Amino acid sequence: MLLLPFLIDQPPTERVIARQGKVSFFSYTSVEHIKAENNQVFSIIDLDSGEIAVSMLMNAFVFEKALMREHFNESYVESDIYPKATFKGKIVDFDPNMEEVQTRIVKGVFKMHGATKELEIKTKIEKTGNDFVITGTFEAMVKDYNIKIPPLLRGNIAKTISIDFNFKYEPYES
Amino acid sequence: MKARKILLFLFLGMLSSYLKAQDLLDILDQEQPDSPLYANATFSFSRITFGQSVETRKTGTLDIFTSSRFWNTPAPRSQSFVADRMSSRIALEYGLSDRLLFGVGGTTFDGRFDGFLKFRLVKQRTDGNGSSVSISLFQNAGYFSERFAGVNVDRSTRLSYTSQLIIAKKFSPNFSLQITPTFVHRGLLYDDEDSQNHIAVGVGGRYKLGGHVSLVSEYYYVANPIKSQTTFGAFALGINWELSDVMLQWMLTNARSTVEDAFILETRNNFNFKNPNFHFGFNFTYTFHLKNRLKK
Repeated sequence: MLLLPFLIDQPPTERVIARQGKVSFFSYTSVEHIKAENNQVFSIIDLDSGEIAVSMLMNAFVFEKALMREHFNESYVESDIYPKATFKGKIVDFDPNMEEVQTRIVKGVFKMHGATKELEIKTKIEKTGNDFVITGTFEAMVKDYNIKIPPLLRGNIAKTISIDFNFKYEPYES
Repeated sequence: MKARKILLFLFLGMLSSYLKAQDLLDILDQEQPDSPLYANATFSFSRITFGQSVETRKTGTLDIFTSSRFWNTPAPRSQSFVADRMSSRIALEYGLSDRLLFGVGGTTFDGRFDGFLKFRLVKQRTDGNGSSVSISLFQNAGYFSERFAGVNVDRSTRLSYTSQLIIAKKFSPNFSLQITPTFVHRGLLYDDEDSQNHIAVGVGGRYKLGGHVSLVSEYYYVANPIKSQTTFGAFALGINWELSDVMLQWMLTNARSTVEDAFILETRNNFNFKNPNFHFGFNFTYTFHLKNRLKK
């Protein structure tokens, strides 16, 4: 009995969750501009430790052209085999109590299409009441994620894809 | 004894804090709603080679579809360039919704005009729930516009109808199979003995060779073929290649037409490489997107 408090040693850690996070990516070449949006991205932050996780379904990306979405899932990211992309990392020097805007580096591991890549992303964190908004941009090289582009379409798809994200967090009750 | 207990609890304590550190992604897994996962692109186009696939197109996509067949006459000396004869079906096919495809077309060689509707009834799910196959319903009407000397039966009409129940399964990301029970009501009768109603079944498959290229094949068997003429089952072996808005399909076949009632019932050559049996087929499709999905 004495040892029970040891098992449930700490009060439940405070977490915030985003259920409708937005991730969009852009590929700009002289031939074609491609844009896609996913508005159903999930993310969670552990406020004490600054740990952050992101999870998104690849087939939820919406493109301007319906066929692009099909080709994206079928021929490029193979979402039958790799349905999700995830990120797990830590916000460096995160202060959950700071009321003004803080700019922080998020370090972590991004997994997509069976590839794993370490990322450092500069983010802007805004706190309003108990809610947080995190926004940022980073770039990803297509070749880092084992995505094959047929030679005839090399001109249509950029080598570097720019990715924007915008997550609104609210307190999480498990 | 006491030491072991302490060790055990220390271990449990470490385990609990380890789990706490581990589980942020697990929490997200639990939070994400179990949205149904459907098999994407069982076939890469609305046709496998000459016949319909289970696929419909997306809302607001307009396909400019041309399907050409080239063949030689048996004459030993031919003055034609490349091929002696050719036939093209030129069609417009429009996705009225993600489940409903509508198309109209005309064929140059035999003056057949056709219109069809294809409805996607059931979508295959890949998450273990729901249906394990995809099902589409297909109905067409074909109008034979040319004067034809061999048709002298009073019951003959110029309209033929084809109904198909298309059942397909995507077995793996690379491999799909399809079976197509078919009913054809034929307008043109060459002989009083001939039946006007025919039962046929088609089988088709695709194997993806790469991200954008697949090997496809198709065969139609007719249970009660036309009696007054010798006909054969339509067969094709081909390659499908998709390149963003363009779909290219090459095939070796014995079927001359791309209209259902014509290729199912009136394929007059067996599949081999002798003239005039051998047909080379090429389908070219350009897809226009009339709806921008990103505009709300």
